Amino acid sequence: MQIKVNGVAIGIFSGARVKDVLRKYSRSELKLVKKNKKMICDRHGHEVGLDGELSGGEEFVIHECGKPESRS
Amino acid sequence: MRRALTTGPVALRLLLSLSALFALQSCASAPAPLAQAQPQPTESRIVIFHSNDIHGKIDNFAKVAAIVDAERKGGADVFYFCAGDNFTGNPVIDQYDPPGEPILALLNRLGVNLMCPGNHEFDYGLDNLRKFEAEGRFSLISANIEALPGILPLLRPSAVLTTRSGIKIAVFGLIQVEAGNGLPSTHPDKVKGLRFSYPFARAMEMKKLRAGNDVLIGLTHIGYDQDLLLAGMMPELDVIIGGHSHTGVDPAEMANGVLVAQAGSDNRYLGRLELLVRNGRVIKKKGTLIDLKGPMAEAADVKEMIVRFNQNPAFARVIATAPFAIEGNDALGCLMTDAMRWAHGLDIAFQNGGGIRLNRLSEKITLKDVYTLDPFGNQVVEIAMNAEEIRSLIAVSFAKGHDIDLQVSGITYVVRTDSDWHIQEILLRAPDGSPLPEDRIYKVGVSSYVASSYNFVHKDPGRALNAITADALIRFLEGGPDLSVYRGIQRAYQDPPALRTRY
Repeated sequence: MQIKVNGVAIGIFSGARVKDVLRKYSRSELKLVKKNKKMICDRHGHEVGLDGELSGGEEFVIHECGKPESRS
Repeated sequence: MRRALTTGPVALRLLLSLSALFALQSCASAPAPLAQAQPQPTESRIVIFHSNDIHGKIDNFAKVAAIVDAERKGGADVFYFCAGDNFTGNPVIDQYDPPGEPILALLNRLGVNLMCPGNHEFDYGLDNLRKFEAEGRFSLISANIEALPGILPLLRPSAVLTTRSGIKIAVFGLIQVEAGNGLPSTHPDKVKGLRFSYPFARAMEMKKLRAGNDVLIGLTHIGYDQDLLLAGMMPELDVIIGGHSHTGVDPAEMANGVLVAQAGSDNRYLGRLELLVRNGRVIKKKGTLIDLKGPMAEAADVKEMIVRFNQNPAFARVIATAPFAIEGNDALGCLMTDAMRWAHGLDIAFQNGGGIRLNRLSEKITLKDVYTLDPFGNQVVEIAMNAEEIRSLIAVSFAKGHDIDLQVSGITYVVRTDSDWHIQEILLRAPDGSPLPEDRIYKVGVSSYVASSYNFVHKDPGRALNAITADALIRFLEGGPDLSVYRGIQRAYQDPPALRTRY
């Protein structure tokens, strides 16, 4: 399935979780999210947990903590 | 519904409690804040707490209990709903004997009223869920699960709760199903005897609940995007309380006039909804998340329960006895990959060296040893691969450190390099030592870590098998395999051999 992270399309196995697609996008970004230095939000601007289960077509954006983009 | 809710004359208490109502603010675009509205005698304030995707993370339940207990003393009608996936994600709790016991005891103590099963509610098996259903002082609801007789006898599509002033709250449940197989994301063997339908069709049938009830709520485990679609299709709903996508929706969002809420995951937040009902309809509604991080009041009795559950005696249980200690990445990796291949019917399985977190398993192997050896909760991912793609995986792994990284079951392999560790060829051999047939497609198992972080060539994107790697090893060891084969075992070779020692 295809998931977008920061606008980049990532191909990932079905049944993947947020942390899997984030790891494939950038392991360093995943580490920052794990350390609560960054947060990952869905296309609506809501924070999602790293174990959240993915469906194809979802989009995520990585933010600095405390600086989420305005919601669509 | 098994939990009787009190009804009766409460006008005086309601009037008293309505003072708190003035703090309520609507997330709807109301012309005047609720705080300025004059409460009418026919109005009632309802507070609904909600959790989802707890995944065995029980530590914050003492804080949750303190919050919920305090609210119940405040005079409002207070309910607590769970939107699925209480199980799986914390080995100490997952391996409790009987499975799920800590979650059951805690949800009962918290006074949970309703729960919709999530896909991980089936992970401990239907016998366990039936026990959970029977002993829980809450109702399980799901409109898109149909159980054969005797499987989940108390499961209902919906339930109606009644406040003390007689307001009727109809709630229906929904569970996520995968587009491919029409099943929730759990191992198919775990849901035999259950039939699942796609959630939206059954949700439309629930519109009938609007008649005769004052409040209509969808308690779902379908993910936030699907909740928004549901809201778009079903304006009859007052509220959707969701789960599955681990989304922290704060404040709850209004979509098509439906308030859509979800409380993150792992017990990091407690969701709190307030509804103001007047003359049989919801006139104000809002939802926020209570962040459970940091110090706050805790219920002492619940804290004691949590301490007790975290000292899970089952964790020290010996699940297998080996004739000798199993030592080193080669032996431990062979054991782990044999388990993965056996548990999931794979042709070949790989285990990366960094995922082997012990150097030695002593003769008496406990559950704790397994989770120390394999602590990451990685899923098993199956990928259909040909021999060339398998070589690509091995090559990528070798390039990480010019050394053997992947342990293997189902084949042996040799990485031949020049003196600068540049790969010259990778020989793949079947278990009998013959060359691995090049014209076949193999069912290859890797961890979700390898599948997502090793950039190798494979046409098939793969699929998670809804099982974690440590569980495969536990099942394998509990099956009593011959562990004597792991003395001095090696299946992955480097030629010429690496000069440095890896462990």
